[in-house]
Amino acid sequence: MLEIKNLHAAVDGKEILKGLTLSVGAGEVHAIMGPNGSGKSTLSYVLAGRAGYDVTSGSILYKGEDLAAMSPDERAAKGVFLAMQYPVEIPGVTTLTFLKTALNAQRRARGEKEVDAVGVLRLVREKAAAMKVSEEMLKRALNVGFSGGEKKRLEILQMALFQPALAILDETDSGLDIDALKLVAEGVNTLRAPDRAMLVITHYQRLLNYIVPDRVHVLAKGRIVAEGGKELALKLEAQGYEQIIKDAA
Amino acid sequence: MNALVLPNRRIEEWKYTDLHNAVDAEAVSSAPTAAWAIARAQGDLDIDDLPKQVPFGPHGLMAGLAASLAKAGPSIRVRKGEKASLELDLTESGNGRVLIVVEEGASLTLIERQVVDGFINIAAEIEIGKNARVSHLRLVPRGDAVRVADYAVIVAAGGTYRAHLADFGGKLSRTELHMVLEGEGAEAHLSGVSILDGVHADVTTEMNHAVGNTRSTQLFKYVASGAGRGIYQGKVAVAEGANGSDSRQSAKGLLLEDRAEIDLKPELEILADDVKCAHGAAVGDLDAESLFYLRSRGIPEAEARTLLMRAFIGDAVDQIESEALRDTVWQAVDKGLEAMS
Repeated sequence: MLEIKNLHAAVDGKEILKGLTLSVGAGEVHAIMGPNGSGKSTLSYVLAGRAGYDVTSGSILYKGEDLAAMSPDERAAKGVFLAMQYPVEIPGVTTLTFLKTALNAQRRARGEKEVDAVGVLRLVREKAAAMKVSEEMLKRALNVGFSGGEKKRLEILQMALFQPALAILDETDSGLDIDALKLVAEGVNTLRAPDRAMLVITHYQRLLNYIVPDRVHVLAKGRIVAEGGKELALKLEAQGYEQIIKDAA
Repeated sequence: MNALVLPNRRIEEWKYTDLHNAVDAEAVSSAPTAAWAIARAQGDLDIDDLPKQVPFGPHGLMAGLAASLAKAGPSIRVRKGEKASLELDLTESGNGRVLIVVEEGASLTLIERQVVDGFINIAAEIEIGKNARVSHLRLVPRGDAVRVADYAVIVAAGGTYRAHLADFGGKLSRTELHMVLEGEGAEAHLSGVSILDGVHADVTTEMNHAVGNTRSTQLFKYVASGAGRGIYQGKVAVAEGANGSDSRQSAKGLLLEDRAEIDLKPELEILADDVKCAHGAAVGDLDAESLFYLRSRGIPEAEARTLLMRAFIGDAVDQIESEALRDTVWQAVDKGLEAMS
């Protein structure tokens, strides 16, 4: 599904990712853990195609295609989804209008028939109930005045609505209390599927108690320095990043 | 005979709108009299020719010329307690004069379209009686015109004036609104949108709170691309003793290209002690983070930009009370945004 080879990437000319290699297969959930400044968010933005996050060498293949050559909207239409750490507030665009516009833009790009207003509302309601996103929230401006938990729930609702093939979750646990965390994790777990890959990027092991990964990668200074099964996350929690990074060196 | 000197950038109020540069003085003094067609009239209203004596309210510099050069014009009256709506289309350019009187307790919905090009200079009087209401939509499609429209609006006690200026610009387009809230409880709510693709639009307002317990709001939004230029100059004056006045004023601009320019100049002059006045102005670019967020959800760049621009404009269009009129303005806005992308 996703093949990253010797990826070097720079933000505003400064190299952040320095030879990152990673492979995620269909049906798998991989966790990327790392201390602050290790390049976790850079990786997520590079995968989503944010301007200013430039691939300087190496390759990213998604379903065999060169991901870096695609615009952010092309990536989304082809099934790449990034649940952001800080979802953006957009005054003047209601949440429902946004969901309808995005869903139909993706469908149009894939040559599928657009869904009418009633159809979108039905689809959204179906997903919203599970994520405890109220009708009132759907009518409000996108993310404006939403709590941290509400924003994250809306990100997972979008993931459920768009049904991506590759989902990247960037620090989805940050700012969540335990109940919100469980709800979000449950939402993510329902979306685990044989034809879907997930990359869970997190600083803390906490989220991985609820979203149990198949593989854990440790990112430090722009490279993967350690890899293992889910037990690696527990080891990190017990020993701290410093020890693991030192052992790996 | 003294040569006519048109307002130019050396005059403070015309600093951003150089009429002298845009048109020959000769073309102004020899321009024909402007004419309107009544596209639609509903309810109880009288439409006549201008009376011999037309009142002349507080106006800007060009209105005197319009008043002295225009030979005729429509005079519209809605009698006491009556309700009417009127659609006026300017069909011939030139110097023009309009008088609108809405008597006590009456109401008028006025839609005014300026579809012709050429030189246009209009002086309009709008008198709003006690507890009367006027909803005014001025719709100006993008064109090559050099136009000045100067309104003097006097609102009596308990009366309400709402105006929305949807001006998509011209070679030069200047709208002046000189408001006098003359009686207690009088209100004025002004809003407007301008999508300016290489063209010019200037809104200059003067909001006089002559007595206390009067309310005014102003909300104007500008989007400029190419060598487009948007101007808002708004002066709010609260007279001595006009306590309990409440005034809000906001103008915002979105600059899509470096060549475009938006000048926003809100001003306050408060001589009363107990008033609430707020004003603000800001010019910026489309937010890069918002744009990325929308694109990361599959929305192509052009569509995402349009969505953000509509969102930016939205609250100004929402000031229009009638849903039908809001739809009319949205259609014009969408046309403007589409032409720009």
